[in-house]
Amino acid sequence: MTEYSFSTLIYAALTIISTIGLYQIIALFQHKFNTIWLQPMLITILSTIGILSWQEISFKDYFESSWALNALLEPAVVALGFPLYQHLETIKRQWKSIVFVLFTGALIAIISSFLITMVLVGDYSISVALSLKSVTTPIAIAIAEQLDGNVAITAFAIILAGFFGAIIGPLWLTFINVTSPKAQGLAIGAASHAIGTSIVSKISHEHTAFASLALIVSALITAIISPFIITFLTSLL
Amino acid sequence: MSFKKSELFNAAYSVFALISCVIVGRLLAYYIPTLPGSLYGLIVFTFTLHFRLFDADRIKATVIWSIKHMGVCFVPAGVGIINHLDLIKQHGIAIVAITFVTTFVLLTAVGLHYQRYETHKKSLLKP
Repeated sequence: MTEYSFSTLIYAALTIISTIGLYQIIALFQHKFNTIWLQPMLITILSTIGILSWQEISFKDYFESSWALNALLEPAVVALGFPLYQHLETIKRQWKSIVFVLFTGALIAIISSFLITMVLVGDYSISVALSLKSVTTPIAIAIAEQLDGNVAITAFAIILAGFFGAIIGPLWLTFINVTSPKAQGLAIGAASHAIGTSIVSKISHEHTAFASLALIVSALITAIISPFIITFLTSLL
Repeated sequence: MSFKKSELFNAAYSVFALISCVIVGRLLAYYIPTLPGSLYGLIVFTFTLHFRLFDADRIKATVIWSIKHMGVCFVPAGVGIINHLDLIKQHGIAIVAITFVTTFVLLTAVGLHYQRYETHKKSLLKP
């Protein structure tokens, strides 16, 4: 029994050290070559998937070994409260407009994703999954279950939306002349939740503050309005 | 040496602050299950700093370091995609395309809308 737990511990330590090591090496390359495609989180995830399938290691084993890393996610998200605190005064002054902008955004996101998926794929549970993809994982999963959405596809689409918005978002927003850090942060937080927020935190503190804010407010709004919108849209179709 | 000690103290202090907010967040999520614990924790952390329950100057360095490196914590959850490869093979292209397009629609809507509001506000302030 002790031997078993000792080797589990060694595996866990090795898994975590190699994950962090790989991540840091890619981060170093990204810094050196300055390209958006060398996103450390994305590349580490893809290479780990590659290694797991190649070595025929089950995800369950990997996830158990990397448990500690996953557990750090919670305090890491809590830490995003710091940039939010730094910009609290600005946010207080613009509270109403921020909520209004994010409410409209959530409405557009849910309706467009649900309808487009209904038309193209024609599957209700996938449509629900995609209409929730801009929301942070724990909330989206809870809503997906409540509305009989496909939970696995919800989780997958959330990660996709996180990377699309965070990697190409700043370039796209600058291209369409949205250059204000507040507007960029808000847009990326609303579209790409915690993954987006953690990636744009490299750009500026203002980005992080507004992205964290959008992450919270959008999640709340979506949790409240999505059941009504989806029931309503389903009754129309 | 004493500088080093105080740096270490600040790090421990920050860990304590973060963990207490995680715990309060979890309690809130248990009693009011609208938001997940981590988001409640984020809100609680913001307010404890705002009302000076924790000293922001002591916390700053550690928290900025954590945010800079938090990306690595998403890796295990992201690798979870491997469990759904069948579904992805079946509907992958549609899912990727729709996610791509609607994410851009949302980015554009929120970004333009908020920036328009900002410039409008500025032009009102000008004489």
